[in-house]
Amino acid sequence: MTLLEWKPAYALGIPSVDHEHRELIGMINEVYEHMAEASDPVAIESCLEDIYAGVASHFALEERHMREAKYEEFEAHKDQHEDLLDEIRDMMDAFTDDPQSGRETLQKSLADWFGNHFATFDARLHHSLGDH
Amino acid sequence: MLKLLQKTGRWLFDPFRRVLDRGFGQQLNPLNFLGALSIYFFWIVTVSGIWLFIFFKTSVVGAYESVEYLTHEQWYLGGVMRSLHRYASDAAIITLVLHIIKEFLYDRHRGNRWFSWVTGVPLLWLVIPLGITGYWMVWDQLGWYVALTSAELLDWLPIFSESMARNFLSADVLSDRFFTLMAFVHLIGLPLFLVFGIWLHVLRINGPRINPPRVLMAGSLVAMTVLSLVYPALSQGEVDMSVVPPSLGLDWYYLLVYPLMKHWSPGWVWALLTGTSLLLCMVPWLPPMKGKSTAEVDLENCNGCARCADDCPFGAIIMEPRSDGMAYETEAVVDSGLCMSCGICTGSCPTATPFRRHTALSPGIDSPDLTAALLREKILEAAERLQGNHRIMVFTCRDNVRSTRLKDTQAVVVEIICAGQLPPSFIDFVLSRNLADGVVLAGCPGGDCQYRFGAEWTSERIARQRDPQLRKRVDNSRIALGWQEPWSVCGDLAAIVTALRESLPTATEAVHGPPPGRTNRWKIPVTAFTYLTFAVIVGYLSVWPRFQLIDDGRAMISLSFSHAGQRIRECRKLTQEELNKLPPNMRKPDDCPRERLPIRVVFSANGETLYEAIKQPAGLWKDGSSNVYKRLTVQGGSQHLFIGMNETGESPDFDFTLEQEVELAPGKHLVVEFDDIQQSFVFKQE
Repeated sequence: MTLLEWKPAYALGIPSVDHEHRELIGMINEVYEHMAEASDPVAIESCLEDIYAGVASHFALEERHMREAKYEEFEAHKDQHEDLLDEIRDMMDAFTDDPQSGRETLQKSLADWFGNHFATFDARLHHSLGDH
Repeated sequence: MLKLLQKTGRWLFDPFRRVLDRGFGQQLNPLNFLGALSIYFFWIVTVSGIWLFIFFKTSVVGAYESVEYLTHEQWYLGGVMRSLHRYASDAAIITLVLHIIKEFLYDRHRGNRWFSWVTGVPLLWLVIPLGITGYWMVWDQLGWYVALTSAELLDWLPIFSESMARNFLSADVLSDRFFTLMAFVHLIGLPLFLVFGIWLHVLRINGPRINPPRVLMAGSLVAMTVLSLVYPALSQGEVDMSVVPPSLGLDWYYLLVYPLMKHWSPGWVWALLTGTSLLLCMVPWLPPMKGKSTAEVDLENCNGCARCADDCPFGAIIMEPRSDGMAYETEAVVDSGLCMSCGICTGSCPTATPFRRHTALSPGIDSPDLTAALLREKILEAAERLQGNHRIMVFTCRDNVRSTRLKDTQAVVVEIICAGQLPPSFIDFVLSRNLADGVVLAGCPGGDCQYRFGAEWTSERIARQRDPQLRKRVDNSRIALGWQEPWSVCGDLAAIVTALRESLPTATEAVHGPPPGRTNRWKIPVTAFTYLTFAVIVGYLSVWPRFQLIDDGRAMISLSFSHAGQRIRECRKLTQEELNKLPPNMRKPDDCPRERLPIRVVFSANGETLYEAIKQPAGLWKDGSSNVYKRLTVQGGSQHLFIGMNETGESPDFDFTLEQEVELAPGKHLVVEFDDIQQSFVFKQE
């Protein structure tokens, strides 16, 4: 099953950011599939680590575009990014410490945090950058 | 050899640095802002200079008088401005010299930093003449001495066919025009080049420190103003060319080499100056050279976020259009001609996370000298050596390892290139994976980062004010930044390790928190003493020790004239026949050769020959006059003077002579001139 699906409405119109969004959706779906199939914890851990690096650099790129566009809600969006990164790290550690319960947390929150961020912050960013 | 010099120098320099760290705090240590302070003093000089120029009269008589007016009638403003003008320019020399010394001692002139080093040398050649022309313009006795000596130096260069120094030997030769020229050079010419030079000097640096911190600006302005009020800059008497000033208060900052002219020929002084400058320019290429490899971009992991380009202290990373067809707009490109291999770019890269156990740890930008992957290896290796429940891992900068005393602390050391190389996620990694209980980052001593911003960026990243930020989940009480309060007050690295260890919570104990910030009782005494010493040194060397132009009991004689030698052969009348052959417009009856013979000059006092020379005619075609200029000293008192000149150079006979008994009191000045109208020598005492 697929957890998240890329929708054209998600597109910000910045090719690189959209490309990474699609990539990240793919990565999250992958880890979700691993969990559904009850794969080896190592595979899941490895996916999470890739997601962390991918999300960190993705946020860096998105922030660059926001700064360049002088996006007025930059501060709030940036704070959200930092919070999200902290949450992924929490999930990673939770999973490493105890794969069983970590898996449950993951299943509950993974789709949430990415989906929420998309629906709220990136959508607002979309509006703002779309005006240009 | 050079290494030993640097080591000894650092050994001498470091105590001062530590004391100032104590007093000013590491963030405000003036020794970390020497270049910026020099520029700041230049601004003070500019502003005060504009005030002085408003009242300055560009004429022989007016120059001295207007400066006297400023100094005495308008002492509360003009006088202070004049003193500030002088003292700030003197202070700039101190900070400049210290700046050069420091960059050399801490090896900050090599590699791709050569550009800033080499472009700094011409700045000296602009700053020093600025000061010299300044003293010249005041046109007091010191101004006269500066004019004479500068002219003698310039005369040595094959630029002017006439002697320039001769303009400054008698008052009736000197014209007001000259002061207009001086004002142009001093006010517009040199400063314009200087501003351009400063721009060039910092061109290849990312975010250069142009301005020192405000506290230092205010402090040094107060120090200079107090000095100006307590010990105002004064002129040294009106110019009287008939006497030699017994002694002069020289500004040693600018006129350091001038006294050499008393015994050396101008050629040697030029040799010393150009030799020193060339040597300075060569220093970056003197061995030992360090082979360093430049940062490498891995396009697979680079999405063009530009953080490395923002953080590179040397502006070595440029964002260029994507070259690999990926959907990204830009990619980082490293200019190997600028990269100093500090690894600060890796520290800024969001992909440099050590949480990659199963895929390769390959950040978007990496330092081949110490890759992120190797760094993680070293951390894991070091962690295995740690035992107990207060395990401390210390990261030291490679260029400033001070880990000798760490053995007793049972901490493990991981060497990195620069504190800024360590991405914050590595600290998260060490603490969350329980590899250590506390982390110490030891930057360069005094927080004065070898690579400019490593310590600063790291402080900000740890404080979550700069990207990539340290995750909020990481407990800051387990991290000690050696260069930053409160840890910096601990002194050495071993003490920091102990302090961190003591402050760490254990399973049974409550959290202590970092060591209490001690009140800095050194602050006021050290800062006050520093400013006071600085002001005293600035003031003292601007006039003391005094310089004696000529020794006691002696008088000065200047030979100063120009005379054309005879033509190499007689003129000849052309015959009518020869004239007819020439085109009509060229029918000149005389055929005279252009070239002239040299003149021979002998000068003696009381029978002792003091000067004897054969002077070649000036000009490319040797068709000009021969110039004689020489400053001599003789014992004061009655002198039997003789001068003889021969127009053909060789012959022992003289075509012109003057022999006279002259009463020349000690300290007097006599000029030997040749009167072209009377065709005779004159011994002139004004």
